[in-house]
Amino acid sequence: MDTLLAALFTGTSRGAIYALVAMGLVLVWRGAGIVNFAQMGQAMFSTYIASTLIMNGYSYWIGFVVAIIAGALLGVLLDLLVMRPLANKKQTELLSSASMRAAVPVIASLGILGVLQALAGIFWAAEERGFPAPVGQTGFTVAGQVMPFTSFDLFVVSVVALTLLMTVLFFKKTGVGLAMRASALDQEVAKLSGIRTNGVRALSWAISGAASSLAGLLLTPSSNLSPYTLDLALIIGFTAAVVGGLDSLPGSVLGGFILGFIISFVNYYMSPEDIFLAILAVLIFVLIVRPRGIFGGKDVRRV
Amino acid sequence: MCVVSNSQPKSIIRKSTVRTLVFGAVLLFAALRFDPYNQGQLAVTLTLFIGVLSIVLLTGISGQISLGQGALMAVGGYSTALMIINLQYSLWLAVPLSIVSGGLAGLLLGMVAARLSGPYLAGTTLVVSLAIPSIATRFGSVFKGDEGLQVDVGYPPVWFVNTFGDPTYEMWQFYVAFPFALLALFFASNLLLSRSGRKWRSIRDHEIASSLTGVKVSREKVFVFAISAGFAGLAGALYGLRGSVGPSTYPTSLSLMLLTGAILGGIRSIAGAFIGSVLVVFLPDWIDWAVHSFELSEQVSNYLPALVGGILLILTVVINPAGVAGGAHRHKHK
Repeated sequence: MDTLLAALFTGTSRGAIYALVAMGLVLVWRGAGIVNFAQMGQAMFSTYIASTLIMNGYSYWIGFVVAIIAGALLGVLLDLLVMRPLANKKQTELLSSASMRAAVPVIASLGILGVLQALAGIFWAAEERGFPAPVGQTGFTVAGQVMPFTSFDLFVVSVVALTLLMTVLFFKKTGVGLAMRASALDQEVAKLSGIRTNGVRALSWAISGAASSLAGLLLTPSSNLSPYTLDLALIIGFTAAVVGGLDSLPGSVLGGFILGFIISFVNYYMSPEDIFLAILAVLIFVLIVRPRGIFGGKDVRRV
Repeated sequence: MCVVSNSQPKSIIRKSTVRTLVFGAVLLFAALRFDPYNQGQLAVTLTLFIGVLSIVLLTGISGQISLGQGALMAVGGYSTALMIINLQYSLWLAVPLSIVSGGLAGLLLGMVAARLSGPYLAGTTLVVSLAIPSIATRFGSVFKGDEGLQVDVGYPPVWFVNTFGDPTYEMWQFYVAFPFALLALFFASNLLLSRSGRKWRSIRDHEIASSLTGVKVSREKVFVFAISAGFAGLAGALYGLRGSVGPSTYPTSLSLMLLTGAILGGIRSIAGAFIGSVLVVFLPDWIDWAVHSFELSEQVSNYLPALVGGILLILTVVINPAGVAGGAHRHKHK
């Protein structure tokens, strides 16, 4: 019973964070047609910035806000410096096939990941460091029993819920959100109706960068911060996004929670070593049974 | 396009043989003049060359991206190490068998992968590259967990020493990798020039058009995956013979290193695969040499190769996605 409760609570809090990661991936996929494998590298980088500020005596919240802004800026920077030149590249013989056009951004994002990790290593990795949580990490006490749910978990769930709510409102209620949805549906038509699709692309990178930086800030208190800490989160986030449907925002949130629960249950009932195999099994199962994901609209294989 | 498409079978084999012999002669000539350290580096280069060839076949020729070649290398490495340790097989039997074990793993992976494309394929193979080494920890009694299995190239047999003299240990590592690299080169060259190569290129360029000309696209995709995995398995076996086969021998970064080599050198050509593997192996040495007068801290110099490699990778895909060999090729035809 205790194990079940613990697995459920951990699953909720972890699932919320994975939902953010998956949402970040989905945003860039919809906005730019790229799965950004560098995403958690960006998050790691901005978490290091926060950590450096906090270690130099600034308050947690200053680090928190600066990291999220830095995440957004880094996202825009990568779009401007790498991804946009790549997309605007004239069609060479090598890039003429659909398969290579899909592969090249993936490779570029892996290059970015490598650069970010190396830079973080050069700047900061001399010593292992932890990352603080803004609130306590001891469980709540209910009727004399310590529950496996901490104030930090509550903080995580509320921050994520707030972020998701804001994202939904942004896409449903604002003009810019509408422009982003239009561009995701059809770049060409959006452009014709006066939407500046380049700006929309950059904004997708910015929001995605901010969301994943937030995920980084929420994930690292439970592990040490290193250039490679967040690699696992990327894998999980990717799987979550595929489970939910790579082009669906609600899908990414659902996928995040599904993965959160699965991993938490594997962790409690089996062993932490089985996590990778569990992720692989989930991914392959979904790709065989329903490759477009739960909420995915378009088929994976497009002509 | 890098390859003449209407060659006759006989001329294909002749062409591949000539390529292989020239390549072998040049390498042997170079290796005999190197110091032991660089002989060892050259042995690693040949090993990774086989791995990068697997990516050239898979990504460059058939258009399927894989970030999981390191995991297939692990399959080859573990199978060889287990055969050498548990069955007392000779290295010269156990290493070629890694082609079979790698190929079988690739067949399985290919059956899933043939249904996927682009980022889906990249992500799935990335997960595979993390999951396969964790099997070694999961079934620790067979695979000896994180500690790994200890294997190495051993020492040259007596007849070899009597005929060719006593090589350094590093030179022996080179001699072990050498015939397999030539074999891989010969097969890759044949495949690229042959009908199969043309089929795979047609799948890469346009799946639907390809299937309309009678190519069984799914079956061929699985087939390429298996063949490419055979190359990866062989590379993995040789890679493990450097001392130990464990989860840390085949990290995800190894898969990414192979991909980096393939892109930098030129994703569509065999020459590119070799240039790329030279780059990824020797780049850290060259960087060390270039910056040694600056007295950088260890922290900086540790991460510098990764930084330079990443920057080169990005610059290559943005500026010249055909890589070193592809760029040179283009100029030749101007």
